[in-house]
Amino acid sequence: MDRNQLRKWLKEPAKMGHKYSLHAIYFCTGCGIIEVPPSITARWDAERFGIIPVATPRQANLFLITGYVSVKTLKAIIRTYEQMPEPKFTVGFGSCPINGGMYWDSYNTIKHLDKYIPVDGWIAGCMPRPEAIFVAVTHLWTLIDKEMANGYKRYREKYRYYRANQEKVLGKLEWPPLFQIEDKDEQLVKEKS
Amino acid sequence: MNSSLKKSLESAFKEVHLNFPEKDRLIINVKKDQAMSILKFLKEKGYEHLALVSCIDWIEEKEFELVYVLSSYLQNDSEYTEKEKANIILKTIVPRDNPRFFTTIPIFQNSEPYEREIHELYGIHFEGHPRQIPLFLERDYKIPPFRKDFDTRQYVKQVFDNIPSVEDRAGEK
Repeated sequence: MDRNQLRKWLKEPAKMGHKYSLHAIYFCTGCGIIEVPPSITARWDAERFGIIPVATPRQANLFLITGYVSVKTLKAIIRTYEQMPEPKFTVGFGSCPINGGMYWDSYNTIKHLDKYIPVDGWIAGCMPRPEAIFVAVTHLWTLIDKEMANGYKRYREKYRYYRANQEKVLGKLEWPPLFQIEDKDEQLVKEKS
Repeated sequence: MNSSLKKSLESAFKEVHLNFPEKDRLIINVKKDQAMSILKFLKEKGYEHLALVSCIDWIEEKEFELVYVLSSYLQNDSEYTEKEKANIILKTIVPRDNPRFFTTIPIFQNSEPYEREIHELYGIHFEGHPRQIPLFLERDYKIPPFRKDFDTRQYVKQVFDNIPSVEDRAGEK
């Protein structure tokens, strides 16, 4: 352990724990997942950074969106994201979740992922190298330190807007709202009717 | 090559256009009514592997072209010689204003997902298909999205670009 960080550890042990034990969920969308096996195995060894891939969303707190998101995949992404315990961090990997990438005029691919779930960081590129994942993770550490990786808090606060956007693209959702929605927002009521 | 197959096809069916673009490849252009009987005939001949069902939208000719790709496992069978093996492409025309065809599930069982896919992406109705429900798509489209007159850019502008970002929604309030 780094001696210089001892004060941080004593001051905010939970935050340091979140920082150095990012458990990434195995969730494959698109082609970017091809960069994940080399980065978690011996060549780049993500465990140096405390990243372990886990099987279920209940154990995870890092969500890598690794490629284009079709409408059907978005449904699975939202369900997975809502099942993850807080604090949870989302990182968009590759250019497709950012603005559609090469699927910018596709009929069945959503263009901006951050309209539907909060995203804490982006890795640009098509494809980014595995090193980019670790650059992103070290950036995420500083963001967690400064409490700027607050996507899950934003999701809590603005849940009704996220939910409205999700309903707009997916139609009626099959699952109940994660947080309570006060149906007082005039514009949203107007949209629904 | 395939002279026996060619002869038997020509003797059994009228108005069949056979075309050999290259070695071991046969293209058959048939009318809509004859397609089913030719597929059945070819299966009995041993071409029992339906590799693919595809569709092309010829918007200027106002017709869809359905493509069935067949091949055989004959080369392992001692009854047949190496010469008889071929990849057969069967093409048939469906009018664009009345896109209807017959299902080939009774002949080739594995055509079920292909036909479902063509039904949802091109809007061709396969008569007798047991479940023509969407295979990939989640949304409803007025024009099936693989047709040439489907404007993807306009659709994206209408649907995905119209969704405001969460910050915009929160700011408007």
